[in-house]
Parts: sequence; C-alpha cells; structure tokens
Amino acid sequence: MAVVAPVKVPPVVAPAKADRGRRRPRRRWGLNLIALVLILLSSFPVYWMFTTSFQTNAAIRSPDQELTPVGGTLHNYRSVFDSDNFTTAFANSLKVTALTVVLALAVAFLAAVAVSRFRFRGRVAFLVMILLVQMVPAEALMISLVKVLEGWQLRNTIIGLTIAYLAFVLPFTIWTLRGFVAALPVELEEAAMIDGASRWGAFWRITLPLVAPGLVATGIFAFIQAWNEYTLALVVMIRPEKETLPLWLQSFNYGARGTDWGGVMAGSTLITVPVIIFFLFVHRRIASGLTAGAVKG
Amino acid sequence: MKFKKLAALGLVSSLLFAAAACGDDDDSDSTKGDGDSSSDALAAPAKDTKATLRVWLNGPDTPQDMRDWAIAEFKKQYPNVTVKIEEQEWDGLVPRLTTALDSADTPDIVEMGNTQAQEFEAAGALTDLSSKLDELGGDDLLESLKEAGSYNEQFYGLPLYAGARVVTYRTDLFEKSKLEVPTTLDEFVEAGKKLQKDNASTPNFSGIYFPGRNWQAMLSFIWDAGGDIATQSDGEWTGTLADKESVDGLTTVQDIMKNANKAPADSDDRNDYIDFCANEVGMLMGPGWKQGQIEEECPALKGKLGVFPLPGSDGDVAPSFLGGSVLGLSAKGKNQGLAYQFLKLINGDEFQTQYAENSLIPNKKSLLDKVAGSPGALAQAEAAENSRFTPSSEFWAQVEGDNILQDMGTQIGNGDDVEKAASTANDAIVEILNQ
Amino acid sequence: MTTGVLPEEGMVPGEPTPSGSTPASRPGRGGLLGRVKALPYALTIPALVALAAGLGWPLVRLVIMSTQDYGLRQQFGAPAPNVGLDNFTEIFGDSYFWEVLRRSLVFCFLAVTLTMVAGTAVAVLLGKLGRVMRTALSVSLLLAWATPALTATVVWQWIFDSRFGVVNWALTKLGFDYEGHSWVSEPLSFFFVALLIVVWMGIPFIAFTLHAAMTQIPDEVMEAAAIDGASSWQRFRDVTWPGIKPIFVVLLALSTMWDLRVFTQIYVLQQAGGVTRDTNLLGTWAYRTGVGSQQFGKGAAIALVMVGLALLLTLFHIRQMFKQEEI
Repeated sequence: MAVVAPVKVPPVVAPAKADRGRRRPRRRWGLNLIALVLILLSSFPVYWMFTTSFQTNAAIRSPDQELTPVGGTLHNYRSVFDSDNFTTAFANSLKVTALTVVLALAVAFLAAVAVSRFRFRGRVAFLVMILLVQMVPAEALMISLVKVLEGWQLRNTIIGLTIAYLAFVLPFTIWTLRGFVAALPVELEEAAMIDGASRWGAFWRITLPLVAPGLVATGIFAFIQAWNEYTLALVVMIRPEKETLPLWLQSFNYGARGTDWGGVMAGSTLITVPVIIFFLFVHRRIASGLTAGAVKG
Repeated sequence: MKFKKLAALGLVSSLLFAAAACGDDDDSDSTKGDGDSSSDALAAPAKDTKATLRVWLNGPDTPQDMRDWAIAEFKKQYPNVTVKIEEQEWDGLVPRLTTALDSADTPDIVEMGNTQAQEFEAAGALTDLSSKLDELGGDDLLESLKEAGSYNEQFYGLPLYAGARVVTYRTDLFEKSKLEVPTTLDEFVEAGKKLQKDNASTPNFSGIYFPGRNWQAMLSFIWDAGGDIATQSDGEWTGTLADKESVDGLTTVQDIMKNANKAPADSDDRNDYIDFCANEVGMLMGPGWKQGQIEEECPALKGKLGVFPLPGSDGDVAPSFLGGSVLGLSAKGKNQGLAYQFLKLINGDEFQTQYAENSLIPNKKSLLDKVAGSPGALAQAEAAENSRFTPSSEFWAQVEGDNILQDMGTQIGNGDDVEKAASTANDAIVEILNQ
Repeated sequence: MTTGVLPEEGMVPGEPTPSGSTPASRPGRGGLLGRVKALPYALTIPALVALAAGLGWPLVRLVIMSTQDYGLRQQFGAPAPNVGLDNFTEIFGDSYFWEVLRRSLVFCFLAVTLTMVAGTAVAVLLGKLGRVMRTALSVSLLLAWATPALTATVVWQWIFDSRFGVVNWALTKLGFDYEGHSWVSEPLSFFFVALLIVVWMGIPFIAFTLHAAMTQIPDEVMEAAAIDGASSWQRFRDVTWPGIKPIFVVLLALSTMWDLRVFTQIYVLQQAGGVTRDTNLLGTWAYRTGVGSQQFGKGAAIALVMVGLALLLTLFHIRQMFKQEEI
C-alpha cells in the first residue's frame, strides 16, 4: 500500500506492558505540561539546595539572589569531605538502612500475608495495635528504648539501631503491604495450589512477585525513614565512630560559630544522592504490575 | 464485646513477648558511681594506671590546639591513659546527656551550657565536687558561672570558659559620622540613631543591629534599668519582668528597634555576621568572637572593626549576660579519680590562659587581666566584671526551650505594647519556675 | 473467571461471599488454608518479635510513667512517686491543651485532604505519562521526599524569608508590596507556610504508593473498560478506585496520624521566628511540655492521650474492618 503523505502518526504499537503509547498527541501535551509544572514545584526547593551548596555563605544571604548558579565554589564540598566523620557516618547509615529495608520488607510481607489471607484470633487486635502505635512520638519512647538496647549490649551498634528502626517502620509497612496483598485476587494463589503448589509455594511464587510494586513503594519509604532519621540515632549512637549521616549533618549547624549554610546544603545534597540511586534501581518494578496471561480464565 | 476481647488478647500477647524478650529491668536501681562526696573517690590514681578517659566537649568553641595541648600534657602525667575528646553538637545535647550519663557507657567528663547544667545537677547526674571547690579556685572562679555549676549549696560543675557580650562596630562609619565610642547607654542609643540617619541610603541598614529574638542583648537593658527577670525567696519565684524598671529597659529596646534598626523582628542573631559583611550594620551586640568571625567571613572589613563593652547608664560597664560552659564529672563514670585529675589540668592557669589568647574569658577573676591582645577580648573582660546570670533554677532551660523571651522580643520588635508583652512573658516564666 | 472482581477487604480464600453459607457448613474448601492453624501465627511471629523488641518494653514503661511524677531526677535514681491520673487531669484541665488540639485538628484536616487529593491526582498522572516524563516526574517527587526534613524546612524558610526570600522578591516584582514581609511572625501565614511544606513533603509518598497500587490493576480490565466506551472519570471511578481503595484507606488513616503529630516542620519554623505560644501544635507542644523539658511522666501521659485521639479518629475505619471479619 502506498503511503499517501508523510504525516506523522502516533505509534500504534504499544510498548509491552501498557497502552500508554496510544494516547492522542494533544492529550499527551496537556499531561506533559502539567507534569512539567509539578516537576518544577517539587524540585524547586531541592534545586535551591543544590545551587546554594556551591555558594559562599556571604553570597547566600545577599539581596541579589541568583536563580542559576553562576561562578560557584567547591569550598562547601571540600569542607564536607574534610570533616572528620563523613565517611564513617556514610557507611553506618548505609548499613543500618540496608538492614532495615531488607528485614522490614521480609517481615512485613509475611505478616501482611497472614492478616490478609487468614482469619485468626487476634488478627484485628494485631492490626489495630500496630496502627495506633504509629501515633506515639519517638521522643516519648527513646529513653526507655535506649535502656532496652543497653540491656542487650546493643547500644552503639548497627543491629541495635536497626531494631529500633524496624519497630517504627513495620506498622506502616505491614498495613500497606496488607492492602496490596488484599487487592490481589485470591484465585491466583488458589490456581497455583490446585496445580500442586504448597501454600507457602503459592505465596512465594505468585503473591510475592505480584506485590512487587507494593514492596518497592514500602521499600522506598523504609529507606527514606531509616536514612534520614535523627532522634533515635541521636541517643542510640553516642560514639562518634557510630554516628549516622543525619547526626553528622548537625555538625554544620554549628560550624564556625554560626550556621554554615553552604556546608549544610552541600552535606544535604550528598545525603540525597544514595536515595536517588536506590530509587532509580528499583522504580521500574513499580510498573511491573500484572502481566497479561498470568491468569487464564 | 468480641472486639474488646480481641484487643485485650493482642495487647497481652505482645506484653508477654516484651517481658520475655526483655530480661531484667532495673532502671530504677541506680548504683551511684563512687563519685559521692567522699573525696577518696577523687584521689589521684597511680601513675601507671591504664584507662581511657572520654571527654565530651561541645561545638567548636574550644580550639583544636588547646585540646591537643591538654591531651599531650595529661599524657605526661599518666602515660598509659588515653584521653578521647568527643565533640558533641549543642543541638540535641540534652537528650543525649540524659541517656548517656545514666548508662554504663557514660563519658567521664561532660561540658554543659550554664543554663543546662542546673537540671543535671539537681538530678544527681554529676559527681559532687564540693570538697574540691577550694582546690579548684573557690572565690576566684567567675561568680555567675560558679553559680551555674552549683545546686543547693553544692558544687558540681567547674566553670570552663565564658563569653561576655560586647558591641562590635564599624570604625569607619563612626569616623564618617564623627562619633566617639559611647560612654553611657544613652550615648550608645543616640550614636545608633545617628548612624541610622547618616546611612539611610544603604538599604536595610541598621545603626544598631537588633533582631527581635536576641534576648541576651535585651537582658543588659533590663538589668541596666534596675529590673530583672525574676527573683527567688524561700524557694518561691516572683516575676519582675513586668515591673516598672524592666519595662523601662525594654522600652529603650523598642526605641532602638524602631528607630535605629532594620533587622527583622522574627530573626535571631545567627546570621548577623553575614549582614555585617553586607555593609548593613553600624553596631551589633554579640559575643566577643564576633569580630574574628566577621573578619574571617569578609576580609575586606579587616581594620574597620572595633569593640567596646556596652556602657551602662552610670558611665560604667552595663551588666551583661555571661554565657559559658561548665565541666562536670559523670556520677556513674568509672574513672572518677582520673577524671578529676584531668579536670584540674583544664582548670589550671596554663590551660585557662590559652582561652584568653583565643578571645574567650578564662574561668577565674585573677586571670582576667591575661585577656590581653585582641580588643575584643579586652572588652569582654571588662564586661565580665559586671556579669549577670539568668535565674538559677533547674527549670530555666524550659523557659529557654519554650522561646518565651524570644517571643517577647518579636512582639516588641513588631511594635506591640511593651508592658503587655512583658507581662505575658512574665506570667509564663513564673509559671514554669514555680512548678 | 473472576479477573475483574477483586475480593472484598477481609475476605479469605475459600470463604464464599457474605451472601453464601457459613464456613462451618462448608467442609473441604474452607479448610484449605484453615487446616493448618499454626501458619498465620507463624507468619506473624517475626513481626511480633521485632515490634516487641523495639516497642514492647518501652510502651509498657510509657504506660507506667504516665502515672508517675517522673523527671530527670527519677532518671538518675530518685524514686518515682505515683500520682495516679494527675498527669492526665492536668492535661485535660489545661485550656491551652484544647487550644492546641483544636489547631492541630484543623491543620491535620487541611493537610490530609490536600495531600490525599493531590497525591491521588499525581498518581493517576504518573500512570498516563510516557516513560521519560514519568521517570522525570518520579525522580523530582523522590527528591522532594528524600530531602532530610531539616534541610527541606530550612530551604523553604529561605524561600519565604522576609528579606532574601524568592517569594517576596517575585511578589514585589509583580507589583505587590511584599518587601520585607515576614511570613512566620503571624500565626495564620505561619501555618500557611507550614501547610505548604507538610503537603509538599507528603505528596510524593502518597503518589508513589497509589501509583504502585494502580499498576496492580490488570491492564486488560482497563482496556476492556476503554473499549466499552467508559470515559476517563468513569474508568477511574469504577475500575481504578475499587482497586486502590484498600490502600487509599490505609494511607488516609496513616496520613491522619502523621499530620496530627507533625513535629519537625513546625519546630524548625518556630525556631526561625514564629511566636511559639501561638503556633504550637500537638507535636511541638507535647515535646516542649514533656520530654523536651525532661518531664517524662507528663510526656508519657501526653503520648497516651495522642494514641487515644488516634483511636477516636480512626474508629470508623477500624469498625468497618471488624465488621467485615464477621460473617
């Protein structure tokens, strides 16, 4: 068939999973515009933080504000790397956060499966309790928590802080994953079991991959919670070599007899980087969703 | 109701878990370290003792070379002892101290701000040093800091160093306006107004930079006028912030804020050095190291700065708020004797004189004349002679934490009725102090 | 096959829909998972252990301390006098508490509404964007979410700074006289700024989680509905919404609690210049009155009051959950 005119036609072949490519171009532009506005709004403060990290303290407070970084300085970043504890704090944060995320997801998944696929005594009580516990501020518990950790010789340890973080992250993680599991049709697991899989096999091979989006979303949440947490780390990790990054950042609040704004921003920028890396690594799993053909009717 | 039963069941099961998991709980059983008033515990240990001494110093206030010096000196006395100085941040210090001093992992020596020390002393967290007071200097110690380090007639915290508030000013602007260093408070205010008028063309210029939340500076005016925050008799606090004298002092403050100042009413003095570098300041009230900080931040102003202590109405130095720290021994520390020896080293004239050389005020009156060299330090020393302290109560930290005086400052800076603002603050303070 | 039908909340595999018969009268199928009674308990044990380890004893201590006059002295060994419910009566008798509570409820309501509505909208948007834009938007949302709370609040302060803030600068350029305008010294504008920050920081999380939930909805169902001629709104209402409802409700409950006890953003803004007394919300008030001034007994009582408050607010949701457990 002869092509009549070189008209641009939107791609008809949809990408593997979604039919998003079929959207009409006009609609697409509208949405993209909205997205652009949102991108500006959500990243403006971060952009500000980023550009400020390249300015001297005097320039930061000057009446002439630069919206774009012109002639910056690396002085702030140098003072970050010069500071005593940056690398150890970074390593500590990394360890605690990784441990917290992995354990939280594993434990929460199990519990989520339990409460959404089974009925058992105490199920509602369990859920209600962990929901309400979210309301207790960490400050009210931290003194007792430290005593507990001390009793187990776990103060100033990565494990100790991880336990504390787990306790604070689990309630939300369990509740959310429960929502995701509950949203999956039980027929999927039943189909697998009819095909001969065990209960556990069904959960492992069917449910788990399908709640991957939920795992990613809650994983990011757990990551950010643990990575940026300050209050508990303040009282649990009291040896300088055990500090985590949020504690380390505070030292710029009192550099040179006044707040070292440039240092705070440079430090904050560096602190944000691993989160972004983690996200880029896992975010595609959010869109994995149900593959066509998983369930045959 | 089934719901209740399920809830109860859930609660009980987790309590059981908790109890099983937790082992022994004896947090209410605290064996006080051997740092009671028995001076035997503080006796010098043998020269070959092996131990690690942990010292918590806050912020960058004590310069690195002074720390190095102290460590090296102590090593001469006790070659087998390692001294570790761990730097803490002022932010979040109190919760840290609360959980650290009470644990087996406690540091041996801790530095506390003078307004924080009281509550820890009252709680029994520090070793009683009353028997050593004379040895450490007795009456020679700076009065208001010694007060901060004492509770209930007993002595716990050794004054470490102090910082008095002085006025840092632009010598070149003074010359331009043909001003001399003011000798009375009135002259000071007038000078500020003149600077304000003469520099009106500079945007945001303040003759006297007075941000609303700078409550420490306000205190000088209150005290100079004869007022005070609160007084105590028989354990009961009476608020004096709303008395005529105090209000008079605050009215002067409002006068300055309105007619000689463009600093915002809702900010504090954290960024004043930056505004100074932006040529927006004629005079500002602040710690003695402000001059050094400004010169570091903008070397262009070097040589154009001067310092003087705030003059009082009577021509003498105005009463000023003395900031500073005290050092205490953790009652649960395991190295009481060693810690005390280190404390003596810090207290010694050699170490303290180094503070003077670094523009901080040493802890003894007899050393005030060592504060030579920088005019800033000299001005501070003068101011220190007429230093006053905030109400010495274990609850004062809460007053600061609740921002009561800061709020009052903002209201005054906004032009609100001075008497009303003082009255509100006064009531709030009295309520807290008398709880 | 029931690909398009998602199970009701609380439904258990093997159980018929509520209109059917009770499990007891249906042998065999109902027992598939019910046969091994221990499994669900076994699955929750790790969670219980972790929670008990981190929260168990501290919570018990919290309850005990709330009935004591427990301050710094007690922390260091002084005996703690039991004061019964005095801490609680003090709280409820303090008119300032009610003032703070009222403010917190209003703030929470506004924050939650804005966050959930905007978050949902953004989640829908994420689903409709092309891959490049979606990643770009996701990353910028993530940046907003991942910025340390202290840093974010500081930057927002600068943006609204009375002298050097971009907002004042822009407004003045547009002709309004906003030079030197202070955004934090008046309570109303203080809360406007605080609301902005809290919502800004809260949207990404809602958006990501809901977006993840939306991707769980089978594409075939969406396509089927589109082919059937359903409009965007109808598709959202009839296909998307039922699918994300369980998660939405969870997020709603959690958001409510978090925004009710919001602390960092308010605290930092207060330290930057608001009048503290007029801007305290539950979180900062609880901190200043209790733990912040070393009055742990009172702080514990306040924490329990806050839990009670949470219970009241989420009661409806819990009752719904409970109702569905009963057949």
